[in-house]
Amino acid sequence: MLNRSNAILALMVLALPLALLGALASGPVDIDLAGALTDGWHAQGSDAVILWQLRLPRALLAVLVGAALGMGGAAMQGMLRNPLAEPALLGVSSGAALAAILLLYYGLAWQAGWLLPLLAIGGAFLAVACVWLLAGRGASASRLVLAGVAINAFLSALMALALNYAPSMFAMQEIVFWLLGSLANRGWDQLLLALPFVVVGAALMFCGRNYLRALSLGEASAASLGFGGRRYPLAILLGIAAAVGAAVAVAGTIGFIGLVVPHLVRPLVNQDPGRLLWASALAGALLLLLADILVLNFIGAQELRIGAVTAFIGAPFFFWLIVSARRGLQL
Amino acid sequence: MSRGALPVSVHQLAVDRHRQRVLENLSCRFQPGELTAVVGPNGAGKSSLLQVLAGVLAPAAGRVEIDGNDAAKIPAGERAQLCAYLPQAETPAWSLAARDLVALGLLPWGKPADRDNRVHRALAQVDAVEFADRPVTRLSGGELRRVQLARLLVGEAPVLIADEPTAALDIRHQLQLMQNFRQQADSGRTVVLALHDLALAARYCDRILLLEGGRLRATGTPEEVLTPDLIGEVYGVSCEFRWRDGVADFVPLDLL
Repeated sequence: MLNRSNAILALMVLALPLALLGALASGPVDIDLAGALTDGWHAQGSDAVILWQLRLPRALLAVLVGAALGMGGAAMQGMLRNPLAEPALLGVSSGAALAAILLLYYGLAWQAGWLLPLLAIGGAFLAVACVWLLAGRGASASRLVLAGVAINAFLSALMALALNYAPSMFAMQEIVFWLLGSLANRGWDQLLLALPFVVVGAALMFCGRNYLRALSLGEASAASLGFGGRRYPLAILLGIAAAVGAAVAVAGTIGFIGLVVPHLVRPLVNQDPGRLLWASALAGALLLLLADILVLNFIGAQELRIGAVTAFIGAPFFFWLIVSARRGLQL
Repeated sequence: MSRGALPVSVHQLAVDRHRQRVLENLSCRFQPGELTAVVGPNGAGKSSLLQVLAGVLAPAAGRVEIDGNDAAKIPAGERAQLCAYLPQAETPAWSLAARDLVALGLLPWGKPADRDNRVHRALAQVDAVEFADRPVTRLSGGELRRVQLARLLVGEAPVLIADEPTAALDIRHQLQLMQNFRQQADSGRTVVLALHDLALAARYCDRILLLEGGRLRATGTPEEVLTPDLIGEVYGVSCEFRWRDGVADFVPLDLL
């Protein structure tokens, strides 16, 4: 059955490869895209190197990171039964960010390309573990949120401290830029490092899709439908930590995707928190790729950070949300 | 395990909530084909008993048996196919269409092929077909309750447990609902309801379980349990029961 919602989702599927081509065609230098594509992976020409070693990994990373953030947001909103939840709420992003900042702080980040992302993923898991332990046995969603807010506040304080005592202006600038999020200068290393974590995280979240569906009735009803115990929320949380932690690790903190994207696509999947997972992954990938095309085509002295672009998309979205709520539509 | 008639029993049950004992030393049996009302004043432990039966709450001591098997040893998914449960207050988190909310009741069975038919049948049972496609956030309290009841019924589980199912319903739908539960019991299901309305309990139920302060105060047929003396003692209210052709007329009179 192809109704309007499914048609929009199908259009998004078709738009993704087109946007990918658009991203490959975008950049500071003009290249012969068709020629470089036909030359293939092993070609030595500068166009081919730009395409295969710079633009393609960056575009694929945008897809991967966008998908991870979108799906993580959908899972988080489903688990907390709250449309305003986002992955950052449980300290996943700030855990990853703090680990990255400490590395940048001591200037160790560039010793090996994989060191920063790996430690950032560790930071994300550590933050989620703290939230889980702090919330305690049989924690309700609201207690998890409270624990997340507490851990988040603590991590933000540590980040402020790191910024305050930054050893040099250079380190401070690096930290700030990293916090804004960026896909610039990322290559196959980062992509291949994040990929397994995102895939495993997505699989964990996907396994919990029926739990999220049952949870739309409330925790007691979900338990009576066979989704009780700690197994399911733990799987979802670990999935979010792996996918979003890896995304933050390679691209910095890119805000609003995890919050806005599930909102946007929820009506397209008839509010089903299960189907919302992959729909949000798709829409997140598309949105971040489009935002990166904007960044690539932006001409200015300074690189425009993609985190700033997504924030500019996210803020007006909330204005629109409030206006439509005032008109009596569903929030 | 057989999917037919399933007796449920609890043995020496104790339940803690927020580190407080809310049910103590409770033993009773719920038979297939019987409609049992759990009654008692606020805080008597009705909801806790129902949650333990449904597997939502773990007992602090004692056990629940379903068809003679220790319920704690039945896998959660299988137990969900045996017992359907509707809590007292269930607020949907998302604005699902009514039919999609009802379909959630089939989650323990995965994705059955005849899902749409079963959902439609359940909606018809509670007189809710007309708003099958409406988002649940746009339903009135009573309409939402009926949709939730359809969610309870859609799996056709052998054991049905509902907490205050008649609250928020108008008198027509209260009667319709109780008749529906009566039919469910007559077709061999084990039905347990927590009820505040003693007249409905007296009229439709085979057995009454009267709880007071976390303990079983009395159990038996409505005629045996719903006596002015006992109700006066437990609720602190003077009342009258007039029995006419098996239909009880319950009139609360005054505070004692």
